[in-house]
Amino acid sequence: MSFELLIDILIATVPLMLIFATVFAFTTWLERKALARIQNRIGPNKVGIPCTRIGLFGLGQPTADGIKMIFKENIVPTGADRLFHLLAPILALIPSMLVLCFLPLDFPWLNENSVKAFLLDGAVIFFFAITGLNTLAVFMAGWASRNKYSLLGGMRAVAQMISYEIPLVLSAVIVVMMVGSLDAAEIAGEQKGGNWFVFYPWGFAAFVIFFIAALAETNRSPFDLPEAESEIIAGYFTEYSGFKFALFFLAEYIAMFAISGLAVTLFLGGGDGPGLAVLPWLSVIWFLAKIFALIAVMIWLRGTLPRLRVDQLMGFAWKFMLPLSILNIFVAGFAWHAKQLDSQFIMVITWVISLAVLYGAASGLNQLNRGKVRPREYKYAE
Amino acid sequence: MNEEISFWILSAIAVLGALVAVRKRNLIHGVFALLVFFAGLSGLFLLLLAEFIAAVQVLVYIGAVGVLLLFAIMLTERVAGDDDRRMISRGWSWGLLAAAAVFVVLLLRPIQQLPSQDAAQPIKPSVEALGHKLINPYVVTLEVLALLLTAALIGAVTAAQGLRMPKEEDSPE
Repeated sequence: MSFELLIDILIATVPLMLIFATVFAFTTWLERKALARIQNRIGPNKVGIPCTRIGLFGLGQPTADGIKMIFKENIVPTGADRLFHLLAPILALIPSMLVLCFLPLDFPWLNENSVKAFLLDGAVIFFFAITGLNTLAVFMAGWASRNKYSLLGGMRAVAQMISYEIPLVLSAVIVVMMVGSLDAAEIAGEQKGGNWFVFYPWGFAAFVIFFIAALAETNRSPFDLPEAESEIIAGYFTEYSGFKFALFFLAEYIAMFAISGLAVTLFLGGGDGPGLAVLPWLSVIWFLAKIFALIAVMIWLRGTLPRLRVDQLMGFAWKFMLPLSILNIFVAGFAWHAKQLDSQFIMVITWVISLAVLYGAASGLNQLNRGKVRPREYKYAE
Repeated sequence: MNEEISFWILSAIAVLGALVAVRKRNLIHGVFALLVFFAGLSGLFLLLLAEFIAAVQVLVYIGAVGVLLLFAIMLTERVAGDDDRRMISRGWSWGLLAAAAVFVVLLLRPIQQLPSQDAAQPIKPSVEALGHKLINPYVVTLEVLALLLTAALIGAVTAAQGLRMPKEEDSPE
């Protein structure tokens, strides 16, 4: 391998890791601050510049947390499978990091000829294939800990992730169908100039389904049953401490960035935004800003919504999201054929019909599911 | 040169994964070793510029089949068998013979015919070409397969529901 190629590869990949790892530290701080504000607390406000009393709103907290995590003792339970206990956090981190390559981030230092991190025809398919590996890492962690709460958390995570992956992929299929390509850069390019897919009826419905499924995929509240602390301690990472725990934490946040990045690519126009004609490098800033907006919504939801019950979680995925996303594919197909006719009047009609069908289907499914969720039956308690 | 190094690394990963998957008594270790084998195979597909097949390999085999195997294992009783017992049964010579026969019948001729040439030229939009192939000449096959899978799904649901029926009488007291 030639030296120049190595340098090119490093230029293409290292910024991705650096940016997202730095942003991760900042996001943990932001999340704690925002949650504290929602819960009428102050949140981290002590750690700032060392050896002074300058607090900087607690911005030093991530660094302090990182140092603490690294120096904490690594405890492995006696009955645990030592190899898998070690491998699970690594296996959780690798897919989350790897899928960052598929996001169409146009860094200004990359030109047409330079090596792209990963330019693939089927970037969207690769994204879903590789994020699916997270499930295995979670299961591995739960099984290797030899702890019943860990195993329960692992099984919950697997059931939840494979259920919500279906609406997630089906809502992405709609965009792939409309663009006619699986290439992330091409999908983002199609939405140039404010033509974002979220502004169409089918696109909006798909975006909402995608976002909810993405919350479940990354085990975020209100779908954080695998780590429900009131029921199963900390779920699959109950038996993890120190740096391995930090790796799980990092993996969860990077997965959040990655899936938000895919949502931005598919529905929110990628790096599209005002001022691109004057300053082309703004597209990276817009992309990251949109990711941050989605992350902020996730934090907001975590502070606001209570956790779902297991039966509600499964029912929501299979009885509401799945039928709605399949119907949405039909609506999108109808809209695609209407677009070929190229007539203003038909476009308006399409909009009205799509909105009516989607709204009717959503409220109808809601009515059908109402009353099916019975109050909880206590088998072993009163 | 780079491709050659990658090929040897990926082949080593795949072969080691397959060997461990066969030899381990612990079922969970076996499944994860099998997944390593699938991952190595998907890397080999990438090396052959068949990126869509590589993605599907990861999606279907590692994602779906792996999780399915893990679910099935969680329903079995003794997951961790003892590693001390040797995994060689009495009929091993017959197995070896069958493997050799399969190798000779299926693989020997293609391997002999294989020209020592560079990797194939990249087909420009490979996913698109595949899509056209699936929809145009093979659409009937695709539909029949879909019908078969749907039938299997309905059958699975029916089987699962039939199991639950006689349990109604005993109350959870």
